[in-house]
Amino acid sequence: MQRFLDPDVLAGISSLDLLAKTVVDGFVAGLHRSPDFGFSQEFAEYRAYTPGDDLRHVDWNLFARTERCYLKRYRGETNSQITVLLDASNSMQYTSGPPKKMDYARFIAASIFYLAIHNQRDAAGLIVFDDEVRETIRPSTRPGQLARLFAGLERAEPRARTDFAKPLRHFQNFLHRRGIAIVISDFYEEPEAVVRTIAPLRFRGNEVVLFHILDPQEIRPVMKGSAVLVDLETDRRIEVIPEYAKTAYRAKIDAHIEQLRAGVRAAGMDYQLLMTNEPLDAALREYLTLRQERD
Amino acid sequence: MGFLAPWFLGGLAALGIPVFVHLLRKHVTIPRPVSSLMFFERGTQSSTRHRKLRYLLLFALRFASVLLVVLAFADPFVKRPAADVNGHLLLLVLDNSFSMRVGSRFADAKQQALAALAAKPHGEKAQIMVLGGQVDVLTQPITDEAQLRTALESIQPSDGHANFGELGGAVRTLAETVHGPIDLALFSDMQRTAMPANFADMVLPGNVKLALHPVVRGTPSPNWTIESVNAPADLPDPKDTKRSRVEGVVAGFGSSAATKTVSLVVNGKIVATKKVNVPANGRATVEFAPLDVGYGFNRCAVKIDDSDAFPADDASVFVVRRADPERVLFVHRAGETRSATYFGAALAAAAQGSFVLQSMAAEETQNLDPAKFAFVVLADTAGLPSIFEHTLAQYVAKGGNVLIALGADAARRAQIPLWDANVQDVHDYARRGAAANVGQVDFTDPALEQAQPGRDNGGWAEVKIFYAAVVDPVQARVAARLADGTPLLLDKQIGEGRVLLMTSGLDNLTNDMPLHPVFVAFVDRAARYLSGIERLSGSRLVDAYVPLRSGAEPVGVVGNVEVIDPDGHRPLSLTEARTAQSIRLRRAGYYQIRFANGRDAMIGVNPDRRESDLTPIADDVLALWSGSSANGTTPAAATAPAEANFQRARLWWWVMLFALAAAVAETALASGYLGTQREEA
Repeated sequence: MQRFLDPDVLAGISSLDLLAKTVVDGFVAGLHRSPDFGFSQEFAEYRAYTPGDDLRHVDWNLFARTERCYLKRYRGETNSQITVLLDASNSMQYTSGPPKKMDYARFIAASIFYLAIHNQRDAAGLIVFDDEVRETIRPSTRPGQLARLFAGLERAEPRARTDFAKPLRHFQNFLHRRGIAIVISDFYEEPEAVVRTIAPLRFRGNEVVLFHILDPQEIRPVMKGSAVLVDLETDRRIEVIPEYAKTAYRAKIDAHIEQLRAGVRAAGMDYQLLMTNEPLDAALREYLTLRQERD
Repeated sequence: MGFLAPWFLGGLAALGIPVFVHLLRKHVTIPRPVSSLMFFERGTQSSTRHRKLRYLLLFALRFASVLLVVLAFADPFVKRPAADVNGHLLLLVLDNSFSMRVGSRFADAKQQALAALAAKPHGEKAQIMVLGGQVDVLTQPITDEAQLRTALESIQPSDGHANFGELGGAVRTLAETVHGPIDLALFSDMQRTAMPANFADMVLPGNVKLALHPVVRGTPSPNWTIESVNAPADLPDPKDTKRSRVEGVVAGFGSSAATKTVSLVVNGKIVATKKVNVPANGRATVEFAPLDVGYGFNRCAVKIDDSDAFPADDASVFVVRRADPERVLFVHRAGETRSATYFGAALAAAAQGSFVLQSMAAEETQNLDPAKFAFVVLADTAGLPSIFEHTLAQYVAKGGNVLIALGADAARRAQIPLWDANVQDVHDYARRGAAANVGQVDFTDPALEQAQPGRDNGGWAEVKIFYAAVVDPVQARVAARLADGTPLLLDKQIGEGRVLLMTSGLDNLTNDMPLHPVFVAFVDRAARYLSGIERLSGSRLVDAYVPLRSGAEPVGVVGNVEVIDPDGHRPLSLTEARTAQSIRLRRAGYYQIRFANGRDAMIGVNPDRRESDLTPIADDVLALWSGSSANGTTPAAATAPAEANFQRARLWWWVMLFALAAAVAETALASGYLGTQREEA
C-alpha cells in the first residue's frame, strides 16, 4: 500500500476521487473529536456554576440531591467543519520532476476531503486563491459535496500571484462556525506577514494547519553554471551564480522555513513542511496526529 | 626564423572559428523558471565577469591550439650559428693503409685518434671512418663515446692503398647529408702517393674543416721493394727458355745506390739468389731462369733478403701453374688457311700463352667435342655442320668461350652462329677506296685490356679495316668501333659462356691487323680471356675483385664457391658462398679459390707498390689542402656560404608539443564548464 502513496505513483492517477480513495484507504480511519464541549452522550466533567452560565447545562438532578449548582459538561463528538485554503498562484506550478507542487497540493486536499467526508462525515469546504479568491465551495456534508470539491480542485490551475490577506478576509466572512482551516501553499512571503495574516483565524477558535509545499530543488537547488532565473509569478529575471545557490540561498531558505515554523507555532497553529517527493501518508498522519493531540 | 612549408599558414583562417564561437556569436542562455526570486540575489555583474574571464581563458587556449597546430604544419625553423656545438660533427679518419705498417705509424695514429676522441666535447656527435683500400664508414654520427672508442680500437692495419681523392669524395657525399659544420681529423702518414692525379678530387666542401695529424715527421728512411714481377701465370714446359723465366724489378725510394740480394722462392724454398745493384732512387731488374716448378699451383715469391725500414714490402708473391698446353680449336673455311696461320703465329708469339692451335675446316667438325678445347675460334666460316653448331651452342651455354671472326664470307650468310642475330649490312671499305680506321677501343674490356694505352690508341690507330659486317650490338658490349661507328669487336655473355664477335676477319684480306704488333697483344689477351687461365693463377693487387661465378647461371643451379684467404680463413659465409658474384682480395698473400664451375685457382696478392714510396706530401701541399677546406674554394662551398655558416633548427616538434598541452588544458577547462556539479551533502 505504501507504494500507492508515493507521489510519483499518484501523479499517474488522473482521477482525484480514485487518488484520494487510494491514499485514505491506506490509513485506519482516525476519529477526531470535536474541540467543543457539546451535547453528546459522553460525560466529560462537572464544573461549578458561575453567574452567566447557561442554565440549560445545570445538572438539576445533582442540585436536587446536593443543593449545589453544577454544570454538567460532555465531550462533544459532533461533526467538524474543515476548510482547505489552496494557494493556486503561479509559483505552485514549479516542478523539478513530477509531481508539480500544485498537483501535490491537490493530492493532499483531495485526500483530506475524502478522509473528512467519506470517513468522518465532516463538513468540508474549499477556497482556491491566488491574489484573490478564485473559487469558494462552502463546507457541507450534503451528498455530492465530495464531487464538487474534487471538481473545484480540478479547476484550480495556477495563475497570478499569492496574496493571503484577501482570501482570509473572505474566509472569515463566511466562517461562522469554528472548525479546521488547512492552508496549503508554498508560502513565498515573509513569515511575519504570513503569521500576521493567518493568525486571526486562530483567534476565532479555529484549528489552523499550514501545509508548506516545497520542491526538493527549492531547498537544495543544483546549478551547473550561472543561469538566468525567471520568477514564475512576477516574470522578473536575474542572473544567479552557482556559488550563491549552494551557499547563501540555502541558508536563506532554511532560515525562512525555520522562522515560518516558529512563528506559526508561536501563534498556536500547526505547521508541516511537505516535500513533493515525500509520500502523502506522512502528511496525513502528521495531520491526524496533530488533531488527536488537540482533542 | 622561417617556415619550411609556409603554404600551410593558410590554415590560420581556422583561427576564425574560436573567434566566432567566443566573441562574435551571442551567448544564449535558456532562462530557468523558479517559484520565486525571493531568496535569490542578482549575481549578474560578478558572475558575468567571472564567466567572461574563464571564457576568455578558454578562448585563449582554443586560439593557441589552432595557431600552434597551423604553425607546426608550416614547419618553423630558426637559423642557429654553425658554431653551435650540438651541430658539429667530428669526423675521425684513420689511415690504415699498407704503409701504416712501417714502424709504429699505425699505433701512433690510433693513439692520436683516441686522444682526439677523448677531447671531444660531451654531446658532440662524432663519426669514425677508416681509409685503407676504400673509405669505410665504421659508425654513424653518434655521441656514444664508448661505441666510438670501440670502433676506433677495432681498426687494424690493412694491405690497401690509401687515396685522398676517395676520401674527398666520401666527405663530399657526407656533407650533402650533414648540413652542419664538420671537423675532419685525418690521422695518416700523408703519403705522397696517396694523392690523386687531380688535386681537385681531394678538395673538401666549405663546411668541412680539415685538421691533419701526420704521424711522420722529417725525411723517411730509405726503402727498397720488389716493384713488379713478370712471371708466367701458366707454364706448360719449365724447359722452355722463352717462357720459363721470372723478371723482377727492384725499386728504391729515398734511397742511395745499394746492392741488394734478391731471391726467388718457390713453395717456400729459395731456388735462386742474385745480387743486383740498385741506383739511388732508381730501379734495377733481376731475372731468374729457368723457372723449375712442379705440376699444379706453385706459390712463388721474389724477395729482397736485406732488411730495410719497411720489411713488409720486400717480397712480391705470385702463383705459377704448371699444366700441359691447352688446345685451341680453330675452325676455318675449307681452303682458307690465312687466318689459322696468322692467329697461330700470334698465339705462339704471345709470351704467356700456353696453347696449341688445332686448325680444322668447318666440314670436319661434325663429330668434334668442343669441350676438350680451352676455347674455339670460328674464322670466316660461312656454314657449320648443324650437329657441330648445336654442340657448340651447348658448349657455350655451359661456360665455353668462342671467338667468331666473320671474315669476307659474312655477306654470304646472314645468320651468325651462336650470336642470335643476323648481319645487317656489309661495309666494303676497300671498294670505296679508303680503308676504315679503328676509332674507339675500350681498353677495360678483358680482351683488349691495356693498363696504359699509348697515344696511337694502344696500337690500334695504325690498323686499317677493309671489310666489316654491320651487326646490331643488342645485349653485347662493344669493345671496339671503327671511325664510322661500325662495331668491330663485340663481347656478349651467352649462358655461362662468352662469345667475342669480330666483324672483320683474322686474315690480311679484310684488314691489315695481323701485320701489326697489336694483333699479337690482342690474340694474347683474347686467348687468356677466353681460356680463363688468367683467373686461375698469377698475381693481383690488394683490393682487386675476382669474379666467382658468371652472371648468367642457370636458374636452380647454385654452385658453391670456396675461398681461403692468406690466413687460412674462409672470408665468405655459407650464404655468401652460394650467392657472391665476386670477392674483394683484401689481404696480401696467397688466395685459394674454387669457382662455382668447379675449377680451382690460386692467386698471389700483393699490396699496391705505391705504398712502398714513403715520401710524405710536401708541407705546402698539405697547407693548401687544409686551407682549401677552410676557405671553401670549391664551387659547392661557394654557392652556399650562408647555409654553411648557419644551421636550420626545426621547431615543429616543440610547437606540436605546446599545441598538445594547450589542447589538454582546453579539454580540462571545457569539461569544467560542461561537467555536473556534485551536490554537497
